[in-house]
Amino acid sequence: MDIRAGLTAILVLAPFGGAILCAVLGANRAIRSTIVLATGAVLIASALWLTSLVPFRLPVESFLGLNLHTLIQVADGLLLLIILYYGLKHKHLVIVALAVLQLLLVSYLEFFMMKGPLPVERVFCDHLSLIMVLIISIVGSIICYQAIPYMENHEHHYHILKSRQPRFFFVMLLFLGGMNGLVLFNDLTFIYFFFEVTTLCSFLLIGHDRTTIATQNALRALWMNSLGGTAFAMGMVAAYRSTGTLDLQKILVAPWLAGSEIYLLALALLCLAAFVKSAQFPFQSWLLGAMVAPTPVSALLHSSTMVKVGVYLVLRLAPGFNGTLISDSVAVFGAFSFLAGAALAVGQSNGKKVLAYSTISNLGLIFACTGLNTSEAMIAAMLLLAFHAVVKAMLFLSVGAIEQHIASRDIEDMRGLYAVMPLTALITVSGVIMMIMPPFGVLLSKWMAMEAAARNLYVIIMVALGSALTVIYWARWAGTLMSDPFAGRFRPEHQPVLTWLALGPLCIGAGVMSVLAPWLYTRLITPMMTSPYSPAYVLKDGGLENVYGTFAILPLSAVALLGLAAAVIALKRAFNAKIASPYLSGIQTGEPSMFLGPMNQPVKAEAKNYYLDTIFGEARLTDWVNLGGGILLTLIVGGAL
Amino acid sequence: MTRTAILIACGLVAGPIIGGLVSGMDRILTARMQSRIGPPVLQPFYDVVKLLFKEPLVVNVWQAFCAYCYIAAASISLVLFFLQSDLLLIFFVQAVGAVFLVVGALSSTSPFSQIGAHRELLQILSYEPLLVLVVVGFYLETGSFKIADIYAWQHPLLLKLPFLFIVLGYALTIKLRKSPFDLSTCHHAHQELVKGLLTDYSGPFLALTEIGHWFEVVLLLGVCTLFWSTSWIGMAVLLAATYFLEVLVDNITSRMTWRWMLSYVWGVGLTLSLVNLIWLHQG
Amino acid sequence: MQAVKRFINRLRSKSPWLLHFDCGSCNGCDIEILACLTPVYDVERFGIIHVGNPFHADILLTSGTVNHRNKKVLANLYSQMPNPKIVVAIGACGLSGGVFREAYNVVGGIDKVIPVDVYVPGCPPKPEAIIDGAVLGLGKLLQLQERKEA
Repeated sequence: MDIRAGLTAILVLAPFGGAILCAVLGANRAIRSTIVLATGAVLIASALWLTSLVPFRLPVESFLGLNLHTLIQVADGLLLLIILYYGLKHKHLVIVALAVLQLLLVSYLEFFMMKGPLPVERVFCDHLSLIMVLIISIVGSIICYQAIPYMENHEHHYHILKSRQPRFFFVMLLFLGGMNGLVLFNDLTFIYFFFEVTTLCSFLLIGHDRTTIATQNALRALWMNSLGGTAFAMGMVAAYRSTGTLDLQKILVAPWLAGSEIYLLALALLCLAAFVKSAQFPFQSWLLGAMVAPTPVSALLHSSTMVKVGVYLVLRLAPGFNGTLISDSVAVFGAFSFLAGAALAVGQSNGKKVLAYSTISNLGLIFACTGLNTSEAMIAAMLLLAFHAVVKAMLFLSVGAIEQHIASRDIEDMRGLYAVMPLTALITVSGVIMMIMPPFGVLLSKWMAMEAAARNLYVIIMVALGSALTVIYWARWAGTLMSDPFAGRFRPEHQPVLTWLALGPLCIGAGVMSVLAPWLYTRLITPMMTSPYSPAYVLKDGGLENVYGTFAILPLSAVALLGLAAAVIALKRAFNAKIASPYLSGIQTGEPSMFLGPMNQPVKAEAKNYYLDTIFGEARLTDWVNLGGGILLTLIVGGAL
Repeated sequence: MTRTAILIACGLVAGPIIGGLVSGMDRILTARMQSRIGPPVLQPFYDVVKLLFKEPLVVNVWQAFCAYCYIAAASISLVLFFLQSDLLLIFFVQAVGAVFLVVGALSSTSPFSQIGAHRELLQILSYEPLLVLVVVGFYLETGSFKIADIYAWQHPLLLKLPFLFIVLGYALTIKLRKSPFDLSTCHHAHQELVKGLLTDYSGPFLALTEIGHWFEVVLLLGVCTLFWSTSWIGMAVLLAATYFLEVLVDNITSRMTWRWMLSYVWGVGLTLSLVNLIWLHQG
Repeated sequence: MQAVKRFINRLRSKSPWLLHFDCGSCNGCDIEILACLTPVYDVERFGIIHVGNPFHADILLTSGTVNHRNKKVLANLYSQMPNPKIVVAIGACGLSGGVFREAYNVVGGIDKVIPVDVYVPGCPPKPEAIIDGAVLGLGKLLQLQERKEA
């Protein structure tokens, strides 16, 4: 059998197998952990092996004797019936309606419309798919590894007697398989099926804790994502109507534009599905609500992988809507999301919500880049996709570890965390640094995006404002973590081995990836830059350069390392310096942060962060931001008509 | 290779020297405006040397780390300017330093440092978008972000980017910590939150923040020179006039609140930028 | 090496930063100290800056007497100043308690709590005397450093 087909099958099916094993045999903790570790290892190995084999397209008709198309048809139908079941079980009218609508649309498509030949080259793996597979398999597996001790602790903390971890890992692994499937296929019906698999997994995982609020939020996620699924199904019908095929690559080839207005509508609807999946405004409430789930869920689904489906989809569609009104509107919409997400994050003190808004914000920037549709913008989009996934996953995992230790998610409760959890605090601070500072990858892509956007005034003004806002909430958080009166002693705290095994590689990996960005560019992104794009940047003196801009990645990294070394030496010397109490107008007592107040009684000096609630608070901005998002979305979909 | 090395050395040396002299002249000018005599022009150097050799005293050891990171970032951004690199990149490198200064201040639990740090964040929020838009203005006119290309432009950019120069003036006023935007910390002895952001820094670390500040001043004045890159006299006149105006504004206004600063700077700054950028875009 | 040290010491005396603490004075001395900062006397000519917190200060200028209430504050401020530092006690109250020395809450002169380097007598002393005292203190600072290095 062709090795490439074999690897594709492994990447999609091994996690399914692991999931079933977990559900069946997973009652025993050791067996369950082994299954998860083994599945992760298989995924990582396969993904790495895949790098040498891309790009490829494979004509695949059947799998193990079953016709693939029929298989997916049946599975799709079953999936929609399961969603319908959950809608009926929770008496949620919207879910029921949307599930029925999707069943009708898909049946209509399958039985009444499909007269022509079915797409043959179903398996499609180019470098963008490879980037996604690497993220899903490597980052996803690492997150599952960290989930093992996290869930133990979680169930212990909530006094859950009958462990639900077999179910938890079943869904997590199922999700990994579903994601791999989404990015490795070319046939719209297949992509739609896996799209819905991720919706179902998200629903099951958000509602995992079975509390009232978890169930409510899970239902909200389900109906919103079903809305996205419906938009996808409608887009599929429109795409087939206008082009006569469901092969995505064939759909994107230009001649259809002249033919039918429904074509642009199809693209717009698919983009709409993508926006819902990536929780852009006005659909962000499902992602915010999803933060009640256990943190590995947030890390996996809601920052590094599932929400990336939306951007992946639009990145794929970008050549199709190049040069149309859809493209410009998507650019403005993305920039608006970037700005609005950043503004809302400034007003948040809940750590996970800050991360959620930051995710929405960065995804908005990726959308803006795809909307700009120039070579530089597309390169920026892909780089940001990759780097953001890794760094955000790491931040979520650290917040998970912190939250379990201090039993709170509020940034105010993390004040002076360095005293209690020095190593985790430092890892979180390094995550913050990697999100906003050069020479790291997230900033490299943001720089590239800004240079690409400079000609579009709407986009660049919003991106400039949003970028300034991001500095506030990240710097504030980093400073709060280190806010300890006499920080000196560094004794790494105790955490389960798997937690360090997860955080360490992600942290170091993100740093190494940033330094290797030029290599990443030439190896993984340049091959994607085929007509109508071109590999705009060239490697020069260890950095990326083009006609109007230059970013010296390697020299800056070297200098940054030197600066870091000097700063660390200074730190070591400061341990021997005299430690003084912070200035409290001379009335400090011997205790840290205590001063003598009225009647000579000791009072604790307390400071809280500025959250600027009256300006950037959720309550203040959400309605306006939803309105803005709604208007821009109408522009996108309406402009297609 | 050697040319690069010489430029790097120039950048590393020019920063403290030019920055210190500018700071000294600033103090003399301020004093004369206040009918005083003022210190000798080399006073900032005396201050910095004295601070460097004081006993090191910290409230939190991470302040030492942050002070070094601040001066590293500030010096790297100036060196990149001398190497005529990408303006947007230089802006981001300079922003690293600003963030480390804030994190260092937040690492002390004194309310003065904490509030000073938050005010500094609001100051950053005020000037960052404006600096980005000024850089975008350069790009729209010259077609490049690289300083080498901007310096090579044949016409004085001030004629095409007058409003953006005023916007840069606002950012400069905030960055130089002049009234009415000197909320987070201020030169000389204008206290309100004691020394705000820099309250708990002392001795050698305070010296490093001061030298880092000089690097940033030279960088921003360098960006000012880009507006009249065609003649040395034009550059000199522009710099002198700008700096004199900055000191004048500092002496005739008083410190305002962050709400006023944010709304005023964003309101006026964004409007002026938008007008200039539209003009460049259409023209 | 010696030349470098001497050079640094000289520079130290060219940049004395001042922290003023009013222990419990009638404000007479404070007004005279404030006068020094005005354009009439302009101490910034000597590089003197009035800073707000002990971390930045070289000279601690005190006025008024120490009392039981603020002796800890004075001690705290003194300990928060990094070396090298000097203390200049302004006015009669700083020397010995002045007219208030018999009061029940008064401890006495500044030197009962922290070591004083220069006393500037007067009630209140003129600004010229205060400046003289500060400059004398600088000289003493130079001496102390050189003696420490010798």
